[in-house]
Order: sequence, then C-alpha cells, then structure tokens
Amino acid sequence: MVKYSKFFKRAKEENFEALELIVKKTDRFSFSFFNNEIDSYKMSNSFVISARGIYNGKMGTAESEKLDKNTVDYLINRIKENALLLDSEDKTFIFEGSKSYKKKNVFNKKLAIATAEEKVKAIKKLDRAVRSSSELIKDVSTQYNEETQDYTILNSYGLKLRSKTNYAHVYTSATAVDQKNETKAAFIHRFISDIADLDEKRYAQEIAEKTIAQFGSAPCASGRYRCVFSPEATGSLLAAWLSNISAEQVQKKSSLLADKLQQKVCSNKITVTEEPLRKNPFFRYFDDEGVAAYNKVLIKKGILKTYVYNLKTAYKDKVESTGNGYKISGKLSTELVNVSIKPGRLSQQQLIKKARKGIYIEKISGTHAGLNPQSGNFSLIASGYMIEEGQKGQPVALITVAGNVFDIFNDVLAVGRDVELQIDGYEVPSILIKEIAVSGK
Amino acid sequence: MILKKLAIEILNIATETGADFAEIYLEEDSHATISVDNGKVETIHDVLSYGAGIRLFNGLQSVYGYTNDLTSKGLKKLARDLAVSFSETRKIEVKTIKKVRQKKKNQPKIPYESYPREKIVEMLKEASKVMKNYDESVVRTTANFAYSNKKVEIYNTDGRHLTDYRSRGIASLLAVAAKEGKIETFRTAKGAQKGMEYFIKETDLNLEAKQVAASAVTMLSAKDCPSGKMPVVIGNGFGGVIFHEACGHSLEATSVSKGLSVFSGKKGERIASSIVSAVDDGTIEGAWGSGNIDDEGNKTRRNLLIKDGILNSYLIDDFNSRRMNEKSNGASRRQSYRFEPTSRMSNTFILPGKSTPEEIIASTRYGIYAKNMGGGSVTPATGEFNFAVNEAYLIKDGKIIHPVRGATLIGSGKEVLLHVDMVGNDLRREQGTCGSKSGYIPADVGQPTIRISEITVGGTGGKVKNG
Repeated sequence: MVKYSKFFKRAKEENFEALELIVKKTDRFSFSFFNNEIDSYKMSNSFVISARGIYNGKMGTAESEKLDKNTVDYLINRIKENALLLDSEDKTFIFEGSKSYKKKNVFNKKLAIATAEEKVKAIKKLDRAVRSSSELIKDVSTQYNEETQDYTILNSYGLKLRSKTNYAHVYTSATAVDQKNETKAAFIHRFISDIADLDEKRYAQEIAEKTIAQFGSAPCASGRYRCVFSPEATGSLLAAWLSNISAEQVQKKSSLLADKLQQKVCSNKITVTEEPLRKNPFFRYFDDEGVAAYNKVLIKKGILKTYVYNLKTAYKDKVESTGNGYKISGKLSTELVNVSIKPGRLSQQQLIKKARKGIYIEKISGTHAGLNPQSGNFSLIASGYMIEEGQKGQPVALITVAGNVFDIFNDVLAVGRDVELQIDGYEVPSILIKEIAVSGK
Repeated sequence: MILKKLAIEILNIATETGADFAEIYLEEDSHATISVDNGKVETIHDVLSYGAGIRLFNGLQSVYGYTNDLTSKGLKKLARDLAVSFSETRKIEVKTIKKVRQKKKNQPKIPYESYPREKIVEMLKEASKVMKNYDESVVRTTANFAYSNKKVEIYNTDGRHLTDYRSRGIASLLAVAAKEGKIETFRTAKGAQKGMEYFIKETDLNLEAKQVAASAVTMLSAKDCPSGKMPVVIGNGFGGVIFHEACGHSLEATSVSKGLSVFSGKKGERIASSIVSAVDDGTIEGAWGSGNIDDEGNKTRRNLLIKDGILNSYLIDDFNSRRMNEKSNGASRRQSYRFEPTSRMSNTFILPGKSTPEEIIASTRYGIYAKNMGGGSVTPATGEFNFAVNEAYLIKDGKIIHPVRGATLIGSGKEVLLHVDMVGNDLRREQGTCGSKSGYIPADVGQPTIRISEITVGGTGGKVKNG
C-alpha cells in the first residue's frame, strides 16, 4: 500500500499550492432472479483515488484505479501538466475545513452481518410471492443490489473526513399477459436497511395491481386535461426543474431562474427542501470539497430562497458554499441530496377526487431526451388513468404529455401527502395541476 | 497484463465447484477529457482505469465479479469467492491456453498521447469561436474532447487467450441560444475508433460547429409543434436512433432469449415494410462502434438484422446463446471490466433505398420533417418508445414551411417499421453513446432519410386540423 503522505510530499516538492485526495473503496454485491431462478450473481471490490491540485493558480485533476509505485508520479505529473493548459479565470479552491460537521452513524450493521445465503433466500421468497400474486403474471425479475462505501477526503491543509455507508435496494419488474395476449409491464422498488423488514405480501400485491390495472389501456383523446402526477412523475419533473437552481447554470446564463432570488418562481403551495443530513441511503455530512453539508429550504411557499453553490461559484457571488459541491465524472459541479416537497394534507385519492375530471399520470419516460431542463419544455411518453367523477377510471397508455416544467410548478392546485422515496433520492408526493396538454388518438 | 500460467490457475480455481465455463477479462484504459466552456479551457481530467472481471457459467447461471487488485492473490481470491456460489464437482479443467492471433484493424495512425494537447485545445477553441460568432443569440458554448486508449486481455476455459488495443476519440459541441426568455440547446458529436488523424484530416469540426449554432438559433424562432397522428419524414444520420431504440434493443439476445422482447420468436417473420433492410456491422474499419473482437473474444461481424422487412438475425452473446440454442455472433460488449458483457449493438443502421431526400419531402402533403433527432427510450417488453426531435419543421404541400419545437415521436417498435413507406439513398452514420445493461458503450446509429406514413407526434401546438 502506498502511503498518502507521499502524495503530499511530492506536491510540496513540485511547488503545488495545495493538494486534495479522495479515496473511495466500494464493495458491491448483487444478484437477480428470473422466474424464481438465480440468473445473475455479482460481487466486486474496487478502489479509486481522485486527486486535485492547485498549480500555477489553476486546478489540475487526475484519478487512478491502479495503486502501485508509479501512482504518485502519475497523478502529480498529470495534475501539473493539465493545470498548465487551463485558462479559466475562475478562482479555484482546496478547502481548509468547515467549523463543524454533523457526522452521524448511518452504517447498517444488520445488513453487513446478514450472510449472502440469507439475502438470497429472502429475495427468492419475495420473488416467488410476486410470481404467485396473480395468474396473469408471466415473467418476474427481481434484483438485489447492495453497496458499501468507504469514502475519505484528505488535503494538504490537514483536513480529513471519512464516511462509511451501506445500503441495499430491491427492484422487481413484472409482466402480465391477459386473455387477449396483451402484455403489460411494471416495476417496483424498495430501499432496505434490514432484509427482515421486507413485507413480501404487500410488495407482491402492489406490483401485481400496478401491472394488471393497465390491461385494456389505450390512448385517450388529445386535449388539455386537469392532471394529477404520481410521486414518481412529480420527482422526475422536479429534478429537471431544480437543475436550474445550480449557481453554475445561473452564472453561465443557462438558467431561467437567474435573477429570481427571493421572488416567486412557482405556486405558493410548493415548499422544497434539501436535507443531506437525513438518515437514508443518500446521507452526506460533507460534500466532495469537504464543505459541511446542511439541511436547507430551497423554495419556501413558491419563493426561491437560494441557489446551490460549490466553493468556486460561491466565491463569484460573494456568498458561502452551500455544501453542494459534487464531482460528476471528475468535474466539480453541484448536486442536490435528499430533495423533498413538503407534503400537503390530501391523500392521493383525495387529490383525484378534487380533480373530478382529468387524467392521472402515473409514469413518464424519457426525460433525458424529451425534456429540456434549460427551457423547461417537455414532451414525454406517459401512461396512467383517466379521472372520471373523481375516481381513477380507464387506463391510458401510449400518449404524450407536453408542456413546460416552470408552468407545471406554477399551476399546482394541491400537494398530496403520499410521499415516496424515489430511486434518485427525491422524496415527493403526488401533485394536482391545472392542466396538461395530452396527445393521444 | 497477467501471465498465462497464472491465468490457468485462476480459471481452474473458478471451475472447481462445477462451473462449465470461466473467463478472465483484464483491462487498462487511460482516458482523458478536455472541456472548453465559453471559449476557456475549464477542465482537463485524466483517468487511469484498471481492473479485471471474472465470469463463470454453470448452465443458465452466470456469476460475475471484478476487482482492481490484479495481483495473483487478489485475482485468486475473487475466483474463489465467485466459485462459492456453485456446489457441484469439477466438470472441466484447463491444461493449456493458446494465443489467438487476429488481424489488428482500427489502429490509430497518430496516437492521442503523442499529439500535443495544446493543439487539441486550439481545435476546441476554434470550434467554440465559430459557434459563438454565428449569431449574437448564442450565449454559451462548450466544446469537449475525450479519448480512450484501452488495452484488453481475455483468457477463457476454451483455452483461448486474446489481446486487443482500442483507441477512440470523440469531439462534442454544444451551443445554447437565448432570446426573449427562450432558450434552445443543441449538440453534436464526431468520433471514431481512430487516432488524431480523424480530427486533423477526415472531419471538419468548424463546419459541425456552424451547423450546431445554426440549429440552436433556428429553433429559437420555432412555433409549437402540432400533435396527432401524421406522416413524419426522419432525416438521415442521427435519425437512425429511432431504429436503434425501437427495434435494435429489442433484437438483443438479453431480452430476446428470455422471451421478453416483442421480437422474441419472430425470426423469419415480417417486422418491417419490404423496403426496409438493416444491419449491425462491427467490422467497419475505424468506425466508432467497431471492434476487432467483441468483449468475449469473438470476431465482430456484419449481421443482417432485417432483410427486405423480414427478421433475419438477432444480436447474440455467448451466455444468451445457451438459452436460445443459437450461435453467438460477435455482438457481446461492455463499458468496462466493471460490467458483465452482454449482447449489444455496434454500428447499427438502415440500408439505403432508392428515393432522394427531396423526393420524400416533395411527396408529403402534410407532416413533420424531423431533421435532427434527440435521444429516446424504449421498454423492451412492450416495445413502446419515445423520441425527442431536436430540430423539426412543418411540411405542407411538399414544402418545408417553418421550424417547430417540442416534437416527440411515440409509438411501438413492432409497428413503426411496418409503416416506413419511403427510404432515401442518403445513408449516413453518426456517433452516439448507448446505455444499457452492460453500461455505456460507443455505438453508431444511422439511416438514410425515411418516411413513416403515420406516427403519433406529441407537441404543444394543439391537434392537427388539416392533416
């Protein structure tokens, strides 16, 4: 093993202003069942060391998955060469440290202790429950993914922070075929901290209902409809909209939320918070620059309260970093961790009742392509149910919903209380909005 | 990367508990990205990626693991950990391994690491300037360059040892145009499995830059796209994403073998109109999605997927070939050692037909000309898809009238190809990144200009009245 002090020593010899290392060790374990037979079983351990250094006033970066006697030279030389070619005038930072950090122990011991055999057994039972939940269910595939990460950040100012996290996630997709040979598919997922917590009966029932309820679905007539978005759909739209809250986007004139601080940006029914300190699989108490993470309100009753910053963009706006500096494939950017919409008072059923006539959109797909986060325009394939006389009616599929996310969040009439944790960490309820353009038959 | 003797030991540890096949895949990839944002070099990032994956089959079960610890101890431990998942007696044993030699195609003439980075930076800055200067409404530009030099080594219990060297580069451009509260973003990418010679001699990045800026600016004045069912002319090149998403993924053995694809069991049947033929061709010299061998060590091939509208072939990897009782055809790929390989596309495109693109537009009374497609997605089980159209125009009486924004094409993969009623003679391929089960891989999409007689267009401009 190479000692990390060697990196700092070399950086000093090369006249670096500062150096930062992030060392991530990740263990993964996953397996999947297809029709109750294991069809894939995977395990891995990996290591990556990412380094950033300020040389000649510029920040060079490099990373390596190889750790041997050449790694110090490789990283230091690359950082130096890269820094010399940069000509961004932005001031760059390696952080001396926040005053305090709200470290919590989020490591799930029960998950770590349970054997692979016990996990396989539990998931097999779950998978079987889904298969036998209805005669119409044809193919079932259940995946179990577990990840343990040991994350350390250390820099030449003596900052050293470490976080050890683990989580497991279960995902099932099922198809059902009816007498008319129509095929419908649906999926369901859960984050789990203990395999004993799995309620297979409820899980199986939920996905069976989700799949079978789609039979007989058809495109509805094109037009404008009053609309309830499911938590999943709301989460996708919110994520796209919130990409505009990044100070980098604002500073680079790519955000329609520019110059909107303390102004109304959406309906006053909407309050959005970011809570990285919430104990769940996404918990973070420091960001990728070592800045302490904290819980905050992003939008309060429709008023934009803050942009989100890393050290570089905060310096430009003469504010403090909000602890949202995260690296995306080596490039420092900003990310939101544990975003949620403050729930309202109504259940989803009550929202649908309130809509009276319209459409319930359960699923939208293809946001990566069909939604432009900058302009907010979207046109997406969707499925769900007609709302007739305040109730879910005829299933609808192969339609597109089109509009603009800025308008969507402006047009919120009510927020539900049916909050669900989404795969991307968004914890959001259903919302009722004024209307949406639907293209069907 | 490891010696033959050690490879044999590892393979025999892996098969001790009854696996009927084992494979070691080793990889060292040095890649770099250079990003120029608004004309300034903002980041240059180097990554040395390094690791090995070990895969075991036992009948229809597969077990996979990976590590960055490529010492004898590390690899043997991984093999032992994976073998624990079976509990039978040994079925096979490896005694000798032979190096399989193949002709090395797709090799760089001007290697990336020998070419001065200052010159790459210069090229990106020039392209940024072209975008910026195109029109005053261009408010932001990015020009990125990425290259990868990947060494691959494969050993398996069939007694085969293969090595490969894969060097790829790609330049991508983005222009953001803004005016009167509207923002339009446009991007393009040019890449090849070649060295710097591709960027110096074979492609004109400044011309691409001009077109990207022009498209973004044009779309600023676009009107809302009408919605409803109508004929759609899909432009050549990236328009092929429709075939890639709606049909290509459903022809991959990953979903076909389990009966999860709309095209499962449809070989020999009509799945497209008779003027449609399509291939997946991993053998095109220097193409972005090509390979000498696939990631299981099999030779890449030109697979005729659809012949005159009839389903002719699937894309099959070794593992799924077991379930399908059909031979694999050089189509197994993965992003890196972190992914278990599976059937994937390489360079996939619809073959050219007879019509000129002008004839196709001229014979369309009312519809949409989808000149530039964005990405899309598809559910293999149902074949339902959606595609965003980045640059679209309204066609009326055989003429292009004005740009329209916000168009989406939706439909089902098993029907869309049946509705192709014209195929152009202007085949073009473009570079994309395809994400699926075995990660993100470089892949070409392509097609000539085609017309779909009827497809659902989603848009915000209200229902078609005179369609």
